[in-house]
Amino acid sequence: MSEVLTGAQILCRELVAAGVDVIFGYPGGAIMPFYHALPEYPGLRHVLVRHEQAAAHAADGYARASGRVGVCVATSGPGATNLVTGLATAHMDSSPVLAITGQVGRPMIGRDAFQETDVIGLTLPITKYNHLVQDISELAAIVREAVAIARDGRPGPVLIDVPKDVQNQKAAYTPPEGKAAAPAPVPPLAQGVDEAARLIAEAERPLLMIGHGVILSGAYAEVRALAEKTGIPVITTLLGISAFPESHPLHLGMPGMHGEVHVNRAIQHADLIVGIGLRFDDRVTGNLAAFAPRAKIVHVELDRAEVGKNVPVAVGIVGDARQITQRLVEAVRPRTCEAWVAEIRGFVRPRAEAFSGDLSPEAILASIYEATGGSCTIVTDVGQHQMWVAKHYPYQRPNTHITSGGLGTMGFAVPAAMGVHLARPGELVWAISGDGGFQMNMAEIATMVQEGLSVKMAIFNNGYLGMVRQWQQFFHEKRYSCTPIWSPDYVKLAEAYGIAGWRVENRGQLDDVVRRANATPGPALVEFVIAQEANVYPMIPPGGSLSEPIEAQPAATPAR
Amino acid sequence: MQASHAVSVLLDDDLLAFNRAIGVVRRRNLPVQGITVGPSGQAGVLRLAFFMQADDANAMRLLRQLEKAHGVHSVTVTPVSSPSLTHPSEAVL
Ligand SMILES: Cc1ncc(C[n+]2csc(CCOP(=O)(O)OP(=O)(O)O)c2C)c(N)n1
Repeated sequence: MSEVLTGAQILCRELVAAGVDVIFGYPGGAIMPFYHALPEYPGLRHVLVRHEQAAAHAADGYARASGRVGVCVATSGPGATNLVTGLATAHMDSSPVLAITGQVGRPMIGRDAFQETDVIGLTLPITKYNHLVQDISELAAIVREAVAIARDGRPGPVLIDVPKDVQNQKAAYTPPEGKAAAPAPVPPLAQGVDEAARLIAEAERPLLMIGHGVILSGAYAEVRALAEKTGIPVITTLLGISAFPESHPLHLGMPGMHGEVHVNRAIQHADLIVGIGLRFDDRVTGNLAAFAPRAKIVHVELDRAEVGKNVPVAVGIVGDARQITQRLVEAVRPRTCEAWVAEIRGFVRPRAEAFSGDLSPEAILASIYEATGGSCTIVTDVGQHQMWVAKHYPYQRPNTHITSGGLGTMGFAVPAAMGVHLARPGELVWAISGDGGFQMNMAEIATMVQEGLSVKMAIFNNGYLGMVRQWQQFFHEKRYSCTPIWSPDYVKLAEAYGIAGWRVENRGQLDDVVRRANATPGPALVEFVIAQEANVYPMIPPGGSLSEPIEAQPAATPAR
Repeated sequence: MQASHAVSVLLDDDLLAFNRAIGVVRRRNLPVQGITVGPSGQAGVLRLAFFMQADDANAMRLLRQLEKAHGVHSVTVTPVSSPSLTHPSEAVL
């Protein structure tokens, strides 16, 4: 049965039909018809952010935590351009985000109309698909296609630009039949499984290296079964963290620029690396020419363009990580790697305490872990604190570590955590940021208050743009150019927003405050004052080989 | 520029698909020459063709990325010994 609706109403109906329940957005002239229609659809909860960048990050956080498409909405011109960083972030990390932007009316397009921007041109390289809707007659089909493209295959962001007059146009609308469109057919299982199983049987020093693809496909049980059947130790990339329990005896840790020495050494000694759902990014491999010099590489990956892109592979298997890992589990013969695991154990260095004060990042993270019983999701920003969390937080539950990996977007944590909260309403969410990144999007505290979003915010305050300062220390003669950063009084800031806030300056205050923050309903903020010159060790210099880490020196004396 | 490969792309006859394909090529930052765009003989399908200078690994990377672009139907990359031989727009797909 068809009825006559406006473009804006059709947009809303299609979102409802696609299973959307939350939209993060900000209104403005060119998107006003959509906002006019929105109250007619109470199933679409709108979260009014304080900056469109936050809408995109929140939609991204929602998508990563729920596995469903996250939606953000903005007006034309500045609203649309503000989305760009968030879409680029989602694109790099394969996150299914649907952005809807208003556009000036069709007769005005191309005439430099007020708030006209070529958002299609701007977002072409950072979306999987984008489209300027030409007429109401194609609107419903385009929304369906965009949602399917965002979600299917290797996920990614999509954008639909809807001219204001198309939002106001009227047309007969027939709702889609049944549920949302069927997912795209699964790509056929590729050749190579038997060959990979043979290489696994022959290898003396094999490693499993798992990335975001394992989380996206939910291949947790399969990866674990593969590791346990073969005894192969497991390395988790930054975006693969939490895909394998940290407490598992076969878990080694994170590789790459800030990977543990024994993990990188294992890579350099390995004779086989089975990479599942990762792209061998340069932060993981270091100098490519020197990466894993003895290893044959088996690469399991959904995106064919990633296989062989960065590292030459002996066997490339294109397909869904879960299905292929299951096939591998069936194909491999049981074996153990005891001698190899013992050899790697010999590479382990005592953890270099990066800290001289008593409030160490390790202690803070241990306290959060204890207080939440390991049940919360941690969303991190970008910088030293991000690496400390990646290295020290003992993740046990799948997909509970969310961070901006590929783009490394400061300001991500706070808004993305709002999306995570809405995707997992009953669970605790901690957004952990540095004092730099927190100040980029701290205006979102107001969004949390207005919308009742319960996010716990931790600020690792070292008075510096810490990671950049660390590079200056190592590679730029300690010239701390433009990296000291002033902060407001965060406790007073919390008070101004009407939320609970604490400052923790020593270990003695730590556990009590973290417990109180968890117990306080709604958003809460905790500033942790940490030593200014704490570093993330070890570190592979940019472009260096994984064999040449900079290791901890005697802890720096705090300057304060 | 010493061309090493001829590239021929069949794609939707549509500005967005064209823009996406060109964007992929531009982003890889490889020297490209002799760009032509024209009909493919198939309704609704355009042929984009050019020469480029790249080693085989880079040529293969470009091929895979182009194949991924929404609106691209197929891509062929052929090694050339001399750019004057056949323009890729005339190559048989
Ligand atoms: C939007 C953005 N701008 C700049 C950078 C470069 N950058 C990477 S880490 C970093 C410092 C982060 O400082 P802070 O947020 O205080 O965290 P810390 O490293 O001290 O933990 C900067 C500036 C970035 N990643 N993202």
